[in-house]
Amino acid sequence: MGQESCSQEDCFDLLNQFEHVLESDPLIDEVGFIHPSLFTILDKEAGSSSEEASTSFWNQDHKLGISTDILIQLCKVAKHAFLTALKEYKRHENASSEFLTENISSGVSCPTLESKVMKHSQALLLLSSDFGTAWNARKLILSKQNQPYGFTEELRLSRLVLSNFSKSEPTWSHRRWIIKMISQSFSTPQEIITKESELVESIGERSKMNYRAWYHRCWLVSYMTIEQVLQELNKCKRWAGLHVADSSCFHYRRRLMLRVLEPLKVKGSNDNDKTEAHKIWMEELDWNKELVIRYLGREALWLHRRFLSLTWLMYFCGNQSSETGECIVMNEEIGIFVDNEIYLLQSSMTFPDNKFEDFQAQALHASVYMLWLTKNIPELWRMLEEKLGTEKLKCVLNTVDQERPSLLLHQIDIFAAKHNNDC
Amino acid sequence: MSSSSSSFQMGQLVADKHVRYILMAEKKKESFESVVMDHLRMNGAYWGLTTLDLLDKLGSVSVDEVVSWLMTCQHESGGFAGNTGHDPHVLYTLSAVQILALFDKLDILDVGKVSSYVAGLQNEDGSFSGDIWGEVDTRFSYIAICCLSILKCLDKINVEKAVDYIVSCKNLDGGFGCTPGAESHAGQIFCCVGALAITGSLHHVDKDLLGWWLCERQVKSGGLNGRPEKLPDVCYSWWVLSSLIMIDRVHWIDKAKLVKFILDCQDLENGGISDRPDDAVDIFHTYFGVAGLSLLEYPGVKAIDPAYALPVDVINRILLTK
Repeated sequence: MGQESCSQEDCFDLLNQFEHVLESDPLIDEVGFIHPSLFTILDKEAGSSSEEASTSFWNQDHKLGISTDILIQLCKVAKHAFLTALKEYKRHENASSEFLTENISSGVSCPTLESKVMKHSQALLLLSSDFGTAWNARKLILSKQNQPYGFTEELRLSRLVLSNFSKSEPTWSHRRWIIKMISQSFSTPQEIITKESELVESIGERSKMNYRAWYHRCWLVSYMTIEQVLQELNKCKRWAGLHVADSSCFHYRRRLMLRVLEPLKVKGSNDNDKTEAHKIWMEELDWNKELVIRYLGREALWLHRRFLSLTWLMYFCGNQSSETGECIVMNEEIGIFVDNEIYLLQSSMTFPDNKFEDFQAQALHASVYMLWLTKNIPELWRMLEEKLGTEKLKCVLNTVDQERPSLLLHQIDIFAAKHNNDC
Repeated sequence: MSSSSSSFQMGQLVADKHVRYILMAEKKKESFESVVMDHLRMNGAYWGLTTLDLLDKLGSVSVDEVVSWLMTCQHESGGFAGNTGHDPHVLYTLSAVQILALFDKLDILDVGKVSSYVAGLQNEDGSFSGDIWGEVDTRFSYIAICCLSILKCLDKINVEKAVDYIVSCKNLDGGFGCTPGAESHAGQIFCCVGALAITGSLHHVDKDLLGWWLCERQVKSGGLNGRPEKLPDVCYSWWVLSSLIMIDRVHWIDKAKLVKFILDCQDLENGGISDRPDDAVDIFHTYFGVAGLSLLEYPGVKAIDPAYALPVDVINRILLTK
């Protein structure tokens, strides 16, 4: 018998085996697809020598490996079993709702059908995590049961699926649905938030710049208390410092920081909030500068600096909550800030040997950063001309011109137009 | 900055091979990938058929076969599923409508029913859920608006609120995310800009700022990435490029280098296009590669509409008739 097909009976046997493994070890916390040749190696490592070793599934210390040889058959049979069970369940549901409308109690409950759907959908989702209809069937049954235990268990299953499919959008979306259900009926989500945040961080460790995972963490922010926001800022700082190319992590920090800013945008906000926010921005700017200097040419760090500097100029440099950069008032504080940024720019542009790509990237990011700030706050341009001098400014513009000529041309047009208007 | 494109022989689009690859892909169902893609067959059909139409080979498939399968995916609610026996979702509903538009078969639809399904998913704040289970995403806003516009039923939703919600997802970097405060992503930007373009609301976009973010997606190889610090990927040739066209900033990137990058991702022997040179091809990237070349006015490829993601002649046929 070839690998592509097996008899229907054999296939169902395979599904039974799989479901049995899942049932007999409810603590499984990691699933992966592995080549069968790895089974013996893994056995040796684990120091085990099971008598009747399966050639399809490997399960030790709550880590489950599924042989790549059986994936296609297993997935097909799980899909078939699930869709059949779902059809049967829906038919039964429709029939009993018709009975109810005729005021006759059907007297038939369908726990067996429910558990069949749950069992087969679980098997299927561990193999094919984007199978939306299987997640939906589980939502339907769970919302009918509406039991806290059911939802907690569901968090465990989706976590298990994520251990193998960390980018699966339907899995993350299902997780948000569970959390909403829990927080609607049973408890405030504060405790869940902390655990979810940790989950995203551990997944972020294995799966770099995972948009779906980090979006999930951003989604949590709107449920956080301001204390939790501040804690999160502190907690994810170390991780961010170790993953300086992970732009998604820095976006998460921006999301948190904007949450801190929210009360300040309201008129009559109190001074304590403002002092606290001021301190957070100062620290983040300093820390970002350290990282920018230590890790040369990192786009994510320079983009973070764009955000920090723009918001700093908009909200803190003697400028009260101006939503756009247009009405920024130039003052002494801004002068000092720009001096510091020019110093950073100049040090980023002097490098010992331009053969190294990192140095070139650093010079480019620094130059584009400066130009980007002037795009948002045109008043900065004159300050830059004054403080940097024509020669050095030319050097900055040349650096941009080499990599992104269109940006420069466009920006020059704007300044020329502005200059003409001013005259 | 002089382009070195004259110094190497530019590859060619092997259109015939891509056509054969797409026609064959439907028949190969024995790989694990094809088994786990089964639930989004409707999307796959849209990608494959649109590519065929862009290459002027839509005639090589049986319309009746596709349409009769497609109609088995429609539910009582009016929405479409990704395949027979699956649940409906706007993701597949738009693909179904787009496929029927390609074949000029929109008249077989119960337009009232489909549009009610889509309109029914609008929330109080103007956003859209993807299905009855309530996940909200600007992708679904785009889908709803695009779908209803093709069906000429935009009056069934509150367009103003829909636009306001999309605008609330704009970030300080000029880009858009899936909900307010979510990270900018080229795919989400396409959806938001596309929805704003269709509803005539592009004045809400800071075109220079967004153009800046989008053109910084071009990396040294000429390819485009979807977010900072990521590798280039052919699919962003579509998402970034169509957005740049809609906001009139496409001259901000090096188009010749991008054409070369896409052509380098072809499987010259067996057809199909991959995410990056020398990777395995798939139907998704084949579509986005060809669609990208269409936006770049590559010879022999029909023009595609950057907002509706359908060939321009198809969109004209729909929008110019009553």
